[in-house]
Amino acid sequence: MKDQDAVIEIEGLSKVYGDFVALDSLSLNVRRGQILGFIGPNGAGKTTTIRILVGLLKPTSGSARIAGADCMTESRKIKRLVGYMPDDFGKYNNMRVSEYLDFFGAAYGIARRARMKRIDEVLEIAGATHMKDLFVDALSRGMQQRVALARTMMHDPEVLILDEPANGLDPQARIDMRTMLLRLAELGKTLIVTSHILPELARVCDEVAMITKGKLRAFGTVDTIMRNIQQRRTFEVMLLREDRVDPVADATQAWLQKHQQEQKGGAGEVSRVVAERMVRFTTALGDEDVSPLLSHLISLGEPVAQFREVPTDLEDAFLYVANEGAREFGSSPRASSPVSMSAASSTVAASKSGVGTK
Amino acid sequence: MNPLIRREFFGILRSPKAFAMLAFLTAMFSLTVLMRWPSDSTSVSGSQSLQVFRIFGYALLAGVVFLVPAFPATSIVNEKNNKTLALLLNSPLSAFSIYFGKMSGVLLFSLLVLLCSLPACAACFAMGGLSARGEIGMLYLVLTLLIVQYTTLGMLISSYAQTSDAAVRMTYTAVLALLLLTLVPAAFLRGTAGGSGIIGQASEWIHSLSPIPVMTEIMSQGELGSSGLKQSSTIGRFLTATLISSLVFAGITLSRLNYRIFDRSRAQGVITDERGLLSRLVRRVFYIVDPQRRKGGIPWYLNPVMVKEFRCRRFGRSQWLLRLVSVCAIISMVLTFMAANSVTSWGVHTIGALLVLMQVVLVVVLTPSLASGLISGERDSGGWELLRMTPLSPWRIVIGKLLSVAWTLALVLMATLPGYLMMMWIQPELSIQVRLVLICLLWIAIYALAISSAVGSLFRYTAVSTAVTYVVVIAIFLVPILVWLARDAPFGRGTVQAALMTNPVGAALSVISAPGFEQYDLLPASWWIAAMLSTLMFAVLGFQVWRLTRSV
Repeated sequence: MKDQDAVIEIEGLSKVYGDFVALDSLSLNVRRGQILGFIGPNGAGKTTTIRILVGLLKPTSGSARIAGADCMTESRKIKRLVGYMPDDFGKYNNMRVSEYLDFFGAAYGIARRARMKRIDEVLEIAGATHMKDLFVDALSRGMQQRVALARTMMHDPEVLILDEPANGLDPQARIDMRTMLLRLAELGKTLIVTSHILPELARVCDEVAMITKGKLRAFGTVDTIMRNIQQRRTFEVMLLREDRVDPVADATQAWLQKHQQEQKGGAGEVSRVVAERMVRFTTALGDEDVSPLLSHLISLGEPVAQFREVPTDLEDAFLYVANEGAREFGSSPRASSPVSMSAASSTVAASKSGVGTK
Repeated sequence: MNPLIRREFFGILRSPKAFAMLAFLTAMFSLTVLMRWPSDSTSVSGSQSLQVFRIFGYALLAGVVFLVPAFPATSIVNEKNNKTLALLLNSPLSAFSIYFGKMSGVLLFSLLVLLCSLPACAACFAMGGLSARGEIGMLYLVLTLLIVQYTTLGMLISSYAQTSDAAVRMTYTAVLALLLLTLVPAAFLRGTAGGSGIIGQASEWIHSLSPIPVMTEIMSQGELGSSGLKQSSTIGRFLTATLISSLVFAGITLSRLNYRIFDRSRAQGVITDERGLLSRLVRRVFYIVDPQRRKGGIPWYLNPVMVKEFRCRRFGRSQWLLRLVSVCAIISMVLTFMAANSVTSWGVHTIGALLVLMQVVLVVVLTPSLASGLISGERDSGGWELLRMTPLSPWRIVIGKLLSVAWTLALVLMATLPGYLMMMWIQPELSIQVRLVLICLLWIAIYALAISSAVGSLFRYTAVSTAVTYVVVIAIFLVPILVWLARDAPFGRGTVQAALMTNPVGAALSVISAPGFEQYDLLPASWWIAAMLSTLMFAVLGFQVWRLTRSV
């Protein structure tokens, strides 16, 4: 599928090392000015994809283009088009920040006068102006990330690929990093950002690509992915009295059995948390199908204080997708561990369908 | 058992590389003896066994000098960088237990190296003419103490160093200084008026820190080809000096093994441009090239990688280069002035030989420290990926890196030109010889650069590449000199000539008619060999860079 606005076009990208498939027919497009969140567990193939995009690796098959330049054959163009910030800072001892940026500017062939001006600009964008005369090996992790971002922007690339930019940052620095990414997107840059801190990504990314075991599992906006993943959702019924928890749980179980059998087949799971006066259940039913349950409980005279859906976030979605990938490859599901605070973990045992793969 | 001894010693033993090294050493020591083993049983005599023993002893000394320093040099700094030193200091282990444990691990392994030599030593003993308590016992005692000294010294340096490769560099430099530079003061002062007073005595004690005089004494070598190296028995002084220095090194290191070792604030990056006028003026006079001044951008006509290399080296910056060049220039002038004024009994040829040796030592010490980490340093720090992402071609990256070392070496070589000019002024007929020597020195620098950069590029980690490069470079430049030291007994003229031809040091000494080198005709063969081997080494470097920069 050809997207006219796409700056990054990846088509059927595969990378195989002997018997090991690091990347399996990955296809996705990223439009200009967008921020793509690239999510996956360790060893999923994120870095392999990134290294192919920046021309450091050759794929076994498939193609990748950035702003029309082929990542395999036009590496000189790619180097000018892309700013790559690896997870590793790449520090040089005894060099000041300004000297460090000056070196990379010179390496990109920026004229001296323009380079000096550019150093001030990128430091300003990265919020690192005060670090100009500091030694790079004496910077804290958060400062290094800012300087690395400044270095990545030195040659004013069209596309920025940032590997774990929020790694090791304190909460304030993370907020600052988020602001910086949004500012870059406003400046018309296209960004690919990988991160393990998923709530951060959810806040800044226009689209998210989830990858496990080298395969793209989900791709789209955060909302789309959530909607698709939320085939089984978790609801909570809070009661006014503890002694009504068991009767309400039984009534809910019976109601769900009846309605789910009618519509989708398979009953939902009902759990009770007496101390919190709470009944929790998962179901594949939609909003319109579930709402009569509240009327039903009230008609039974149960003291319902609250009836709500437990919100699902990107972390839950990621766990769901990761487990789908793990299951496909025959390994044990990660979320069989006690991560059961949300819908995604409980939906692991549910339907396999519904992930918004492209 | 101290858990650290267990971890260090067994950790090293478990490494297949350590096993391979021990097996290799055993084979080499045995081969060394076998090569000189008399083929005719009737020819076995005390002098012949001594000849074989000399070769064996010097090979063992070389093994200790090359191999031992690398292990203690990284022992504490690695713990510091891996953040495990804090864990150790936080454990119930005392500082002494930590130090003793780490030192024992290194010592036990080093003693294994000595044990590997026992079969070869037994063969020497079986030839007769050697005393188990005399020559053999003394050799092992001296080497054991030397190992203790190098281990304590390496650990002391390791406790101060911030990176493992810096620790390796500094340790090898210190070991070479102990080995060779300690000989210089006594060599100058002996037979002069100043040689009999306190200064003379001090110079004799400094002289005793080097294992070379004591080794020549054990090997019963009255004449070493370098007069003045041995006069009276040095064994007692060597043992005392080594023990005292080892205790001092250990004491200082022990005093550093506490939480203060981490008590370092980050560099604040104070810059001269922002200081007061007076401060700026004083610093300008003091430094000439102020290291804390804000730098201008890299100009278009300079290779950015070269500039980067100069800027990110602690001792590569201009103020250090100027100091080094000044010291070299002053030493060369003083040496030549002394010869001209007959301050010593040495002639111009001996002074010329000293100049050559000084430059060779500088090149051998400097080049691996500058060139071994050219590629591995980038890979180690993560900078290689960044460099690959820039439009700089691999060719330009390599050229920039090589130029940064070449300029430094060129400055060092040029710094001694005043000495040679003075030599030519004293004896104008030497001008052709001096020119030939300068060409030899140029080849020495190119050769050392080629070997250091090529060998260093083969390794992933800077500390490993630095240690291996030092061993290789020192071996290449020192082994022919060791062979020359044993000229005529047991090596014949042909063997010595062939050994000296492997690098241009012998050729330089031969051209300048240094005592003991006059008889060898090494030019132009030595230049050709250096050229071919340098080309081969640069090809290895080029291949390695190509391999590391291609997309796979």
